Amino acid sequence: MDQIINDLSHHIRLNKGFFLWMGFLALAFLACLYAYIQQLRYGLGVAGIRDYISWGLYISNFVFFVASSLIGMLISAVLGLIGLAYVFLYARFQSPILWDVTVITTYFVISLLLLFLPMIPDMAVLYKRFANLPSWLKPVYKVLSLNWTDHPEQNRIIHRSIYILLILIIPAALSIHTVTSWLFALTVRPGWDSTIFGPYFVSGAFVAGSAAVIIAMFFFRKNYKLQDYLTDLHFNNMGKVLVLVAFVYLYFNINEYLVPGYKLKRADAVHLKELMSGHFALTFWLVQVGGLLIPIVLMLFRKMRKPLPLTLISIVVLIAAWFKRYLIVVPAMAHPFLPVQHVPDNFKVYSPTLIEIAITLLSFILVLIIITLISKFFPVIPVVETAKEKGLDPLKSNES
Amino acid sequence: MKKLFYILLLMVITLLRVEAQNPGWIVPDDQKGKICLVKFTPDMVKQGEALYMKNCQSCHGIPTKKNFAAIQPSPGDLSEPKAGTQKDGELFYRITTGKVPMPEFRNILSEDERWSVISFLRSFHKGYVQPDPEKMAASMGKRIRLTMAYDTAKKKIMVKAVELTKNGPVSAKGAEIIVFVQRYFGNMQLADPKPTSESGYAGFDWPQDFPGDKTGKVILGARVNDPTGSMQEAIVRDTLTIGLPTNKPSLTDTRAMWSTREKAPVWMILTYVLAVIIVWYFIFYIILSVLDIRKIKQIKKT
Ligand code: HEC
Repeated sequence: MDQIINDLSHHIRLNKGFFLWMGFLALAFLACLYAYIQQLRYGLGVAGIRDYISWGLYISNFVFFVASSLIGMLISAVLGLIGLAYVFLYARFQSPILWDVTVITTYFVISLLLLFLPMIPDMAVLYKRFANLPSWLKPVYKVLSLNWTDHPEQNRIIHRSIYILLILIIPAALSIHTVTSWLFALTVRPGWDSTIFGPYFVSGAFVAGSAAVIIAMFFFRKNYKLQDYLTDLHFNNMGKVLVLVAFVYLYFNINEYLVPGYKLKRADAVHLKELMSGHFALTFWLVQVGGLLIPIVLMLFRKMRKPLPLTLISIVVLIAAWFKRYLIVVPAMAHPFLPVQHVPDNFKVYSPTLIEIAITLLSFILVLIIITLISKFFPVIPVVETAKEKGLDPLKSNES
Repeated sequence: MKKLFYILLLMVITLLRVEAQNPGWIVPDDQKGKICLVKFTPDMVKQGEALYMKNCQSCHGIPTKKNFAAIQPSPGDLSEPKAGTQKDGELFYRITTGKVPMPEFRNILSEDERWSVISFLRSFHKGYVQPDPEKMAASMGKRIRLTMAYDTAKKKIMVKAVELTKNGPVSAKGAEIIVFVQRYFGNMQLADPKPTSESGYAGFDWPQDFPGDKTGKVILGARVNDPTGSMQEAIVRDTLTIGLPTNKPSLTDTRAMWSTREKAPVWMILTYVLAVIIVWYFIFYIILSVLDIRKIKQIKKT
């Protein structure tokens, strides 16, 4: 038992590497924060977005984070809230934005509870049994462990709560992606005006989310020496999941482009041409072929579902997922129905400014910080559950 | 030192060459001679100034201030001789057609408006003398004036074309007339073009069920459509109360998806509130029951 506790929690301490890494993150964070302060002071004009293309990197990021929130649910929710909370003041019930904010808040709370509940027993056990627990974390663990003593009634409450939450999170997760897609699909813009945007986004979120999970698994396994607990088998299975969801996503992609591509209504034609052979063609084909098709084919082979190749593939998939959001947001805005004329040149094209890019980095750094902190302070893999699976009693020391 | 001088000289020459050429923006010969058909007046200059500030200032800056935008190719200050030495027709052509990044103003400013902008620019050009409109007009096709009225008995829009000759107005025969109705965006042509008769009239049947605004007003226009150039552009616009009064209720009068916040559909408010209540009921229920975990231990102790 001690073995398990040690293996699964020895990363909960603040070593040199942690400080180096956090120091680096903090520096980068400050640098990018400066950009954000600039934006607060001088307004959104410092970003490349203008009247016509008013959704740029920021909304791409937002959609991307919502999508990968199947793992980083918590982080994305925080970002989503920062970005959109003020909308409440003007809320219209018919507006997808109100729904989006509501759903994200709900999702955030459910996710937080789902993160916390399974950890209650772990914190109780670690508080009692893990000698290396940093002293300042002890009171935190004590309060958060809620006096857990493995009492059957306590376990019953925890299990029932998790069960209810798991049921709740399914509609919440489906809603969050669907409602986010409605922010786009409830307009008549070519490129967004689509009835399948809901499932299109949901399946896209599964792809980005699974890829993010695989990457996180790989780094936790490596840095926190969890090879015995996150095995090749886990990676193999996650690889299969990723192939499956990527296939579904591919299917929606084909629908999304083929159906309007067959009819080629005038505005759609302009949009599709821009994507497939115009200004955005390089990105488009890299994303579709390099970020979806090739990964699918590769992952069909067992060898490619080993931890290292699978992680590399996932990184490519995740990067492509970000660019995919960009391709959904920006090109559609570049072609409004009214001809763009008689306006300053920088209204017609969009290119992200340095400040925008810095703020984008800011959000990614924030994600890394939060993930690092959480994974440094709390066990990544449930200790008690692992122990019980092996038939051990977590609160008694005489076994193992 | 000498080397530096040569290099500088070379640079100046190249710059001058580029400056002098206006490369690739050639005004066709038949456009150069185009002139404004009225004398520039102070009113026109004033209107031109307003239009200039709205449409051109962002790039060309305020004339004589040389504060034009730093873009390539350079827009330049239009009060300078480079523009000042060009003919009216050249300026008119350039404003009409534009050249990336300068927008074309063909559909943004009417011909009259373009001319008034030019009159404003000309007020900065020393030594400029406006070509005499009367004299030049003779070589530029007939000057036509249009009037428009509704004939209640015939139920026709009657457009009359008059040619302005030296000896006064004369009915113009054979002028191709187009009648159009102004809509939210652009104009809708009412029927096929028709030439004017001997007496200078062209009549167009007016559909009796044509929708007007609340009081039945319709904005109509008529234009001479002469591709051969034997007649000059002429246009008339008028608001006539000849449409069916149409009072469509505003789209935002009733509760609907697209309406304002106060007019949200009831089912939508209900759905939203219910969904939030149900989900959050469970969330609070869970939070409360999780807090109970602490008490359980105490019970066991006692
Ligand atoms: C988007 C910026 C922009 C706007 C707005 C703009 N221009 Fe220009 N304009 C230019 C540029 C750039 C050039 C030079 C083009 C070249 O030389 O290739 C130019 C050239 C010209 C020229 C020719 C100058 C020459 O020396 O030959 C005239 C005349 C002119 N503009 C008039 C106007 C007027 C009048 C307006 C407003 C009704 C206007 N422009 C609005 C950018 C603009």
